[in-house]
Parts: sequence; C-alpha cells; structure tokens
Amino acid sequence: MSSHAPYGEPRASSTRFLPPDPGVEAPYRLTPGLAFRVGILGIVALAVFAVLFFRLWSLQVLSGDTYLAAAQGNQLRTIRIEAPRGTILDRRGRVIVDNIAGTAVKLWVGDLPANGRYDVIKRLAAVLNVPTARLAKEVDARIADPLNPITVKTAVGEDQVAYLYEHQSEFPGVQIQQTYLRHYPYQSLGAQMLGYVGEVSQGELDRRPKLYRPGDKVGKAGVEARLDEYLRGEAGQAQIRVDSMGRPQGPLEPRREARPGNAVRLTIDIGLQRAAERALRHGIQTARANESYYANGGALVALDPRDGAVLAMASTPTYKPSVYVGRVDPKKIQPLLDAEAAKDANYPGINRVTSGEYPPGSTWKPVTALAAMQEHMLEPYQSLQCTPTATYGLDEQEFRNWDPYVNHPMMLPEALARSCDTYFYQVGYQFYLGGDSGRTRMQQWARRFGFGAPAGIDVGSEEAGLLPTPAWRKQTFKSDWDRAWNPGDSIQLAIGQKDVSVTPLQMARFYAMIANGGNLVTPYVVSQVETAAPNGQAPVVLRRWAPDPPEPVGVDPAALQVIRDGLYSATHSSFGTSSGVFSSFPIPVAGKTGTAEKVVPIPGYPPGHLEDQSWWCGFGPAQTEVARIVVCAVIENGGHGSTAAAPAALRVFEKFFGVKGGYQTLVETD
Amino acid sequence: MIVEAGRQRIPVRRREAVDLAAVVRRLDLVLLLAVAALVGYGLWAVAGITRFDVPGDPDYYVVRQAMAAALGGVGLVVATIVPPSLYRRHWRTVYVVAIAGMVFVFAFAEAIRGSKRWIELGPIQFQPSEFGKGLFVLAVAGFLVERQHDLGRLRTVATAIALGTAPMLLVFLQPDLGTALVYAAALAAVLFVAGVRWLHLALLGGLAATLVLGILWFLPSAGIEVLKPYQTARLTGFANPDADPSGLTYNVTQSITAVGSGGIDGRGVVEASQTRFDYLPEHATDFVFASFAEQRGFFGAAILLLLYLLVVWRGLRVITVAGDLYGAVVAGGIVFAFLFQVFVNVGMTMGVAPVTGIPLPFVTVGGSSMVANLFAVGILQAIHARGRTGDMLR
Repeated sequence: MSSHAPYGEPRASSTRFLPPDPGVEAPYRLTPGLAFRVGILGIVALAVFAVLFFRLWSLQVLSGDTYLAAAQGNQLRTIRIEAPRGTILDRRGRVIVDNIAGTAVKLWVGDLPANGRYDVIKRLAAVLNVPTARLAKEVDARIADPLNPITVKTAVGEDQVAYLYEHQSEFPGVQIQQTYLRHYPYQSLGAQMLGYVGEVSQGELDRRPKLYRPGDKVGKAGVEARLDEYLRGEAGQAQIRVDSMGRPQGPLEPRREARPGNAVRLTIDIGLQRAAERALRHGIQTARANESYYANGGALVALDPRDGAVLAMASTPTYKPSVYVGRVDPKKIQPLLDAEAAKDANYPGINRVTSGEYPPGSTWKPVTALAAMQEHMLEPYQSLQCTPTATYGLDEQEFRNWDPYVNHPMMLPEALARSCDTYFYQVGYQFYLGGDSGRTRMQQWARRFGFGAPAGIDVGSEEAGLLPTPAWRKQTFKSDWDRAWNPGDSIQLAIGQKDVSVTPLQMARFYAMIANGGNLVTPYVVSQVETAAPNGQAPVVLRRWAPDPPEPVGVDPAALQVIRDGLYSATHSSFGTSSGVFSSFPIPVAGKTGTAEKVVPIPGYPPGHLEDQSWWCGFGPAQTEVARIVVCAVIENGGHGSTAAAPAALRVFEKFFGVKGGYQTLVETD
Repeated sequence: MIVEAGRQRIPVRRREAVDLAAVVRRLDLVLLLAVAALVGYGLWAVAGITRFDVPGDPDYYVVRQAMAAALGGVGLVVATIVPPSLYRRHWRTVYVVAIAGMVFVFAFAEAIRGSKRWIELGPIQFQPSEFGKGLFVLAVAGFLVERQHDLGRLRTVATAIALGTAPMLLVFLQPDLGTALVYAAALAAVLFVAGVRWLHLALLGGLAATLVLGILWFLPSAGIEVLKPYQTARLTGFANPDADPSGLTYNVTQSITAVGSGGIDGRGVVEASQTRFDYLPEHATDFVFASFAEQRGFFGAAILLLLYLLVVWRGLRVITVAGDLYGAVVAGGIVFAFLFQVFVNVGMTMGVAPVTGIPLPFVTVGGSSMVANLFAVGILQAIHARGRTGDMLR
C-alpha cells in the first residue's frame, strides 16, 4: 500500500509505539516532494512575470515614442486640398476660362468593408447616378492604393450631398470635398485651342510620378496641357482624425495652404476671336446660299504680321469644353473620343487652323511668283498671254483658265488680281523645263516660306502639309506612271493644286511675310504667365515668352512690292477677284482668293468627287502703312474663294479696325 | 480529537461541518485584499477603456461589470463556506454538470462571431466554459485523490487524462481554442501537484509536444486540418507579426502599437486613439490589456501585473497550507490556470504569446469570467480556511 502513495514516501511507521491503525487515515502533511513541486511552480510564475515585465518595459519605456508616432499616424489622414487652377486670359486680361466652386464625392478604397464592399459601391452609384460597373472596376483597379481616394463624381448636386451627409454611416470611406470646376463664360470660344482638363491618366502618372497623384486634374490638350505646370498650382495638405472605419472624428486641420495656379495670358483677343468664329459661320452660310451645299466646316486665323502673335484662331465645327466638366454626358463627349462619332460630327475636336491640310489653290500663286522672280524665270513687268486654255506635255493635256473669256497679255500684278491660271501655268512650265534641279526650285522657296514643315506654334499639335517633289513622287508611288514628275505636276503646283497641301496657319504666316517685308514670323498664342490678380490689382508677370524674332527669308523687296501691288489690285481693281467684297472697305486691305479642288467623299457621289475649298488670305492696312493684321480663312467645300472665305475674312477686318465694310453683291471668282 | 474505534467517520464529518466563525477567522486576508484590489482596479480600467464604446452611455459596460463583480462576490462567499470535501466526494456529479453545460451550449447556443460559447438565460448571457474551468479542476482533482494510492500507475494518469480530454474537446469544438488550452494547462497542473511520477510527466510532456507539432505541422502537410486556418495563423503569427500587417496579424500589430504608444505614464482615456477609434479590435475583451496599457502606461500596467503576481503567490501558498491533498491539488489547478490565462492574454497583446481568445481575469468585460474567477478565489479561501494555518500550524 505504501509503495503507491503520493510522492512514493512511506508513511511514518514507528515501531516504538502502537502499530498504525489501518482504520485511521494518517494526518495529511506537506511532504518535501510537494514543496519541491510548488517551488517549481513558483519559479515558473516568476519567470512568466519576468518575461511580461521586460516585454512591457521594452515596448513602453524603451520604444514608446516610436509606437506613439505609429499610433498617431494611424488616425491622422492626410488629405490633398485642391488648388484652384489658374485662369486663362485674353491679351487684354479678360477672362476666357476660370473656375467655379463645386462639390466632389471621393471614395477611400481602403475604408470599404471587406464584406459588402459591392453593396456600398452599388448604393453610392445609385445615389450619384454613375454606372455601377464602372465604379466597381475603378475600385478594383485602385484596391492596392489606400492613400489616394477615387474621385467618384465632381459637380454633385446639393440634394445628393445632403443625402450622403445624412446617411454617412451607410457610406464608409465616402468623402465630400470642395472642388473647383472649369468654367467657360464664352462656352465654345476657342475650344480646340484652349483644350480641356481631365483626371490624370495612368500614362501621365507614369511619366511624371512626382508631379501628379492619382485623381489629380491635368490639362489634356491645347493651352491647358501645354501650360499645365503653371496653371495647376500646388495642392495643399490638411489632416483629419479618422477612426478605423475612416469616419472623420474632428475638423479638417490645414497643414499647408494650397497655392492657386497662375494665370496665363494669351495673345488672343476675345472680341476678335468671337468675330472670327461668327465669321466662319457666316462664311458657311454665304457658301450655302451660293449653292455650295456641302460647306460644313472651316478655319480662320488672324496673326499680327509683325511678330506672329495669334489674334484669333477659329475652327468649325466646334464643341463646348464644358462637356468634360463634372458629370460627363456620354452622348455629348462621343464625337471627341470615338472615331466613328467624330466622323459623323465632322471632327469637332480638330483645330483646323493648325491641323487641317488643304490644297491652297490660287492663294499659292504669290509663292510661285516669288520663286520664279527669285530664280529669274519671270520678269514682273513682262507680259504673258492669259489664254482660256493651254496644252502641255507629250499627251497634249489641256489645262483651262477658270475664266474662259479672258484672252489678253498681262503683267504679274494683273495676273494675280485676275488670278489667271494660264499665266501661272507658263511660269510653272518654266520650272519644269529647268530639268531635275529646276523642278525642285519652287519647292525650295516654298520651304523657305514655311511650307512643308510645322509653323512652330507654341500650343497644340500641328500638321506639316505636303510639298510634292520629284523625289517624293518616286518614294511614294509604285507604278512608273505615278512615279514620274510630269509637266502637269509643275503646272498644277504653280496654281496650288494636285498634291500640295498646306495648313491655314502656314498660309497666314506666308502672307505675314509678304506684309512685313520678307520676314517669316513664328506664330504664338501664349504671351505670359502672371500671378492671379484678384480685385483689380496689377498682376505680377512671372514669365514672359518673347516672340521668336522674325527670320528674313531672303526675297528681293522689289519682288515683294510687286506681289503686294498684285494683292491690292485683287481687292480693289475692277477686275480683282475679291474687289466686290473689299473695295468699299474704308481700310485698304490686300489679299488673294483661292478656290482649290479637293477630293471629298460625299455620300451619293462617285469616288474621287471634287469639291471646291474656299480660301482667302490677306492683310491690312495695305500699301499706305505697315500691316497690323493678317487673316487667312478656309471654308471647306465652300465653293469660290470670293463667295465664302472672303466675306468671312471681311468680318474679322471689320471687327479689328472697328469699321463696317459692307458689300453689295458677291461675284463668283477664283 | 478522541476517536472511537469503529466510528471513526463521525468525527471526521463533524470536523467538516461549517464553522463560519472559524472560516472567517482563518481566511487569507492578503489574497482577499489582493483580489478586491484587482476587481476594483479592473473596474477602473474598464471604465476608461469602454468610455466611448456605447455612444451616449459611457458607463454602460462598467455598470454591468460591477454587477457581475457583486454577483461574483456572492459566489466567493458561497465557495468559501462550502467545504471542498463536498466536491471531492461528489466529483462525478461535478464532472457531469460541467460536461452537461458544454453539451447544452452545443445544442442551444447561437453562434456569435462564428463560435458557440454563450447560453442566453433571459437578459443574461452565460458562458459555461468559464465556470467549466473550476468544475473541471474540482472533478479531476477528486478523481486523482480518490486514486491517490494508485497515482504511480500510468493507468491512473491515463484515465485522468481521458477524463480531462472530454470537456477539453467540447470546448475546442465550440470552437474556443484558448479556453481548451487553459483546460489543458489546468489538467497538467493538477497531475503535477497530485504527485504523478516525473517519468510519467516527462512522457506526457513529450506527448503534448508531439501533439502540438502534429497539429500545426505534420497533419496539415498530410492534408488533414485539425485547426481552422485562422487558428493556425494566430498560433504561429505571433512569431513574426510583420508578415501580414493588414491581415491575420493586424490585431497583434495594432495591439503592440497600442501598448507601446502608452509610454511610461499612458495617453489617458481621451487621447488613447488606438482604443478610442477602434484600431484595436476587441479592446474590451481579448485585447483589454493592450487598451489598458495604452491609456495608463507602464506604471498602470505594471501595477496590474504586480497584483496578479500577488494573487499567484498567495495561491501557491494555499497549496502548501492545504489541509489535505485534495485541497492542494485543487489549489494547484486553479492557480496554474490563472497564471496561464494571465500569461497568454497579456503575452498575446505584446506579441510574446499566440493569439487566442482568453479573457484576462478580473479585467476583461464579461460576467461569466468575473463570477467564475471570484468563485475560484472562494474555493482557494475555503481550502485556506480549512488548511493548516494559524492555530492549526501551531
């Protein structure tokens, strides 16, 4: 029995006394074995508490500050305070684009509950009337970025904001913030030139990771994009205490003030710009009234010929940049994003002044004349017969003058004024006869006059146009017939037809060169960046872009004077092509019409259908003093230069000089 | 003590009769005061920790906790008066009651946060596994003392373990891994104090180690998952809390941040953002120590730990002064279970112990835990009062 007792100790059994009574339990006592075990438990307890104490000491006393910072970082959320974007001003400081206050709803993805995230998204999408699927996709894309909220919608209505505030508990992670919305007091004015503002794209983020943060607004095109760094300002910072669900627990505490963007002043004159846009619509109307029913677009640019400042730059059809602001209406924005819709709306997003390429037609004739005079192929006061038709080449192809009733010799000014095609065919044929080197001479001069290369404007994209040369033909075409440079190529180039194409801006630059005495200007739209000047204080100019000095192209001033005489004659002599429009205008204006055939696909017509592009380029005041304005206008499919583009250009001169011209009749001339 | 041959049981019974005056005279006053201090300190802690939990009613939890403490005080008195030998003689009944409570939980309880632990009795929620701890110790100790002469046999040990495994499994399946571990600790302590041979203890230790390794490592690699994935992650996650800061170890990371941010003198109730803004999950229950350490700092937390140490010391002393082996074994089980709970709970909030849902005695908000712990202290007092203290030792 004793061998199995606890702790294996024999019970006290003294033989000196009575033997132990088997019926009576020996009294319990603390054995050394139990005491030993309790001692072990005590040591274990001490060890346990020692561990806990040391850990507590190390956490709270040794690294308490670190953890305190971590805990404070937990609950403080840094919020970017949007900076108001700089305004865009016209040359006299009048506001073209500014901001209005709006409300934006943002969503912190990290605060969405793990379960039921989709329910929150669905509710929010329903309240704000945005597509649920798109929002859900956006949330999924940004799920790994808890530091930057998603902008769900800007320009949220008051009712929706009130609802969100009242039901805050149902919308974890939803933040309502003051924002600035781009405001366009003149609606579609200068839309393509000004560009628009949108949320930064992933590509832009990757390119400028330090400058941009997800959700930022950036300029996407035109002036807004080009001068984004000045316009955008600098976002401020504020901190707010939030709980673990992201719910605000206190007021917003500003840490760094937002720095508003700077204002950008353009060379554009609002009044002239409006006149230019109205003039284009007027030109299209007069074109349609003169049986050019497919007139549907156009471009008009006005330059200061002395330094290249763009005074007005209009392109039709146009759009309202406000379609990019706030709730984006897919129907309205479709023509700007979707190729098919853009085609149906005749490409409202394209700035035709810089990106529209047209055959120049007769507005090109001064190029031909100047090149020929410089190359000593033409004496300005030598008479050439202006015939109704002429034949050139081995195949004896017949080329006609636009006016079949003229048949007399004339000198260059009259040829320009009458826009005699057969006169210039002879000049063009001279170039052709010059052999391989002669056939590129005119193009070389044209290149010096700024054709075949972008005009170098500071804002927006540009097309280069096309200067056809024998080499170009060889490179571009396959068959021997097409690769050959025939007399027709030189002859048609002389009157700005066939393959040559130019942008209205290039043309305006060329006429500026004629007006200012042989210097090629670089057109520019942005004149300076200045501080936002509220309350009529004088703004501080931060940065001014001096216009590139006009470059002399190396033409003989006498030759230029002949051209100017011809252009003045074209608007004032009895036989001038646009005398009907300009001769009664009190300010002397000189300029050239153009009626350029271009292949235009129009439904219902066979392929290769030709429509006349209506041109007019010129300047004023002419002859008596230095010209202050150059205007170049194109009406697409507008018919004769004199019936669409010239009346449009006159409107701009009227606005610029502040006098009315008024014409009685429009005569169809080249 | 005159014992008449043949009627030896009668005086024994008379000695066990309740002599209230003697019991009161022979209470462990230090233990009593330490526990009273702990309860008061715990209520103060809860008052701060839960101030912002129920909007508009900052005292919601502290009032309920105080009511539980009052009820627990009654339990303490009752447990002190009831002679421990009663449990020893009726250990089978005690065992059946403990098992029945847990089975009842399985049958009727509604799952809260995926776990069936609570029984609703009208407005009161009642958690049988908390009371089960005490009953479990009383029952297994009763069995061991009944077989005290066969304790050296492996068979007795195995039977005791089998007896202990049943309630442990029931708790484990609730699932309440933490409480199951407390049961295991209590069982080990009971066997240890009862006097199981060192060899057998070593065997058991080896077996337990094998079991832990098997459950956490071998069986999962063989495709058998004993633990739910979150349980495994919690058990192993404390070793490297930075592994997945926003996921499984989020709690530990936030808890360590809370403890550390308390610094030397604490951030106070209003400034303690980890607690106030809910970064610290379960800050009134499982992570109550972290919350307390954040609000009251090193001094506040150290005082709490010292009070626990005092209780453990007095508890260990009860083992040595127990009047019989049963008292010693029961006291051993209770004290070690208490020590284990304090260590795992406090250790888990500081990243030195695995995350398991073990309440912190006398502080964690929860009536069942409070009442059960005070009842257990009552048993310690009962053992002390009937032990070889005071005049008995003389």
